[in-house]
Amino acid sequence: MPEVLKAPLVVEFPFTRSLGPVQSAFLTGLRERVVLGVKTGDGRVLVPPVEYDPVTAEEIRDLGSFVEVAPTGTVTTWAWNHAPRRGQPLSTPFAWVLVRLDGADTALLHALDAPGPDAVHTGMRVRIRWADERTGAITDIACFEPYDGDRAEPAGHTGEFENPVTGIVAPARLDYTYTPGRAQSAYIHALGDRRIVGERCPSCRKVYVPPRGACPTCGLATSEQVEVGPRGTVTTFCIVNIKAKNLDIEVPYVYAHIALDGADLALHGRIGGIPYDRVRMGLRVEPVWTEGSRHPDHYRPTGEPDADYETYKELL
Amino acid sequence: MQPLRDVAVVAFAHTGHLRTADELSEVEMLMPVLHEVLDRTGLKTADIDFTCSGSCDYLAGRAFSFTLALDGVGAWPPISESHVEMDGAWALYEAWTKILTGDADTALVYSYGKSSPGSVRDVLTRQLDPYYVAPLWPDSVALAALQAQALIDTGATDEPALAAVAARSRNSETNTAAQQDYVVRPLRTGDCPPVGDGAAAVVLAAGDRARDLCARPAWIRGIDHRIEAHGLGVRDLTDSPSARLAAEKAGAFERPVDTAELHAPFSSQEVVLRKALRLDDDVRINPSGGALAANPVMAAGLIRIGEAAARIHRGESDRALAHATSGPCLQQNLVAVLEGDPR
Repeated sequence: MPEVLKAPLVVEFPFTRSLGPVQSAFLTGLRERVVLGVKTGDGRVLVPPVEYDPVTAEEIRDLGSFVEVAPTGTVTTWAWNHAPRRGQPLSTPFAWVLVRLDGADTALLHALDAPGPDAVHTGMRVRIRWADERTGAITDIACFEPYDGDRAEPAGHTGEFENPVTGIVAPARLDYTYTPGRAQSAYIHALGDRRIVGERCPSCRKVYVPPRGACPTCGLATSEQVEVGPRGTVTTFCIVNIKAKNLDIEVPYVYAHIALDGADLALHGRIGGIPYDRVRMGLRVEPVWTEGSRHPDHYRPTGEPDADYETYKELL
Repeated sequence: MQPLRDVAVVAFAHTGHLRTADELSEVEMLMPVLHEVLDRTGLKTADIDFTCSGSCDYLAGRAFSFTLALDGVGAWPPISESHVEMDGAWALYEAWTKILTGDADTALVYSYGKSSPGSVRDVLTRQLDPYYVAPLWPDSVALAALQAQALIDTGATDEPALAAVAARSRNSETNTAAQQDYVVRPLRTGDCPPVGDGAAAVVLAAGDRARDLCARPAWIRGIDHRIEAHGLGVRDLTDSPSARLAAEKAGAFERPVDTAELHAPFSSQEVVLRKALRLDDDVRINPSGGALAANPVMAAGLIRIGEAAARIHRGESDRALAHATSGPCLQQNLVAVLEGDPR
């Protein structure tokens, strides 16, 4: 068995999220160093505030229900994180904490900056350490820190602010090690030798290119390797008129389904070496490999007569 | 309340423990399990009235991996099929409901997860509240550790007791578990689930069809699932009212069970569940080893139902409770009650 192919795969995206009236007031408040909760119908104060009562599902969006709470509070539970991970609030060892701020009935999750686990306990008093630069996000609270002073008295803010934040951008990044699996690894290994190798279903005998390891019709593992092409037939195509970002190909160009000789499934590729408006169904093509490329750059006409429709109609 | 039809788990198969299946794609990992579970019943894909699967693309970072996995079923001519972005236990719930409606007499349920390509601790942060919680990237072990500390604070458990749960699950020595390093204190390596890949599948069948396909079907007497608030600071992390309510609705408290398969990825969560589900020392807990022995995310819950059913098939249990969980700190819980015919 050839070596397992591996490659880094980064999935990264900035989520732009709009805020409802409650989240907007809370996060704007953090920007202004004010912590707001909401009061539920039965008088509990929820911090962080939500738009619906988690017990009764009653809607909470009346501005009159905002209640300012103190930036000081009590740890309700904690966990010592000796090895901070990317994106977490502190890069030095810290405690995760749930903190019930003074005036609130529920607890907020954040980090506590403390010298070590022996300095942390449930019931300890803490206060918010504000971030120097605040934008209206949960990270405007840099972390909590131990606090042995008096309970701070909130000023009774109403929840109305100038220039309230209406959205957040939350970047997310996840790192993977991609492995293509047995069948696709074999396909990629063969491409390295400029060969296109599919796999045959042991039951229906169809040859799949590229192979994915299973015959989707029969639900069986494909394993018999079959070299196909290199020549093939354009079964259908489209003309691309919009330039893709980061793609150095002049438009318009033709993107086609190509049934390689011996394959029972068309793959797709770009057609070059012929004006876009002369590409047609049945056109015979062959792959063009460029130096250092791991797959055909495009396909070009072979000059053979067009294939008869009957020979590829099942592959459309 | 009695279900409208008698529906049973008639077959179960799974991959066993895989630290990594990096030489296999999802479908290549899943397909042998599908073949095995169908072989046990003699059914072909065409004999299955409904197929339902559970998986999550975030685990391996592959978009629409469930459509590629479906290649392993053989979905032509077109089959009646559905998918949940959840543990396969919830796919089983959908299939069970489908059979109860009378639209299907048989169902294939499968799920799979490859956690090894990514960092599952970080991947799972993406299921959290995106406004107040996810921007802090609290990983799955950190959240479970907050729950464990809250539990320790109540006096319901302590670190040696957690080590004993971990040791029992893995048939190892308690002393060894108690001396392992902290991952996020108070949870040590042994208190946390192993990261791995795996797949599982079950076949469901109704009434006489079930009796034809299995010598001793594991009849589903009830299933229910319940969810708690997403806000961690709103919940009492030391209790599981959702698991208790699901168990009550599933009929778990009507008679004692002899076996319970609990989906408790962290040792401390077993303590919470035992109490919520009123499981005393007479009940055999997780004879399979549970999620502390193998935790293929998205399949580990379905495996609990499958393992409980398999014990009934083998005559090792007469009435078993199977539990699956989802979300941080046991946020969502599913309970199924399975029974074998009297012997």
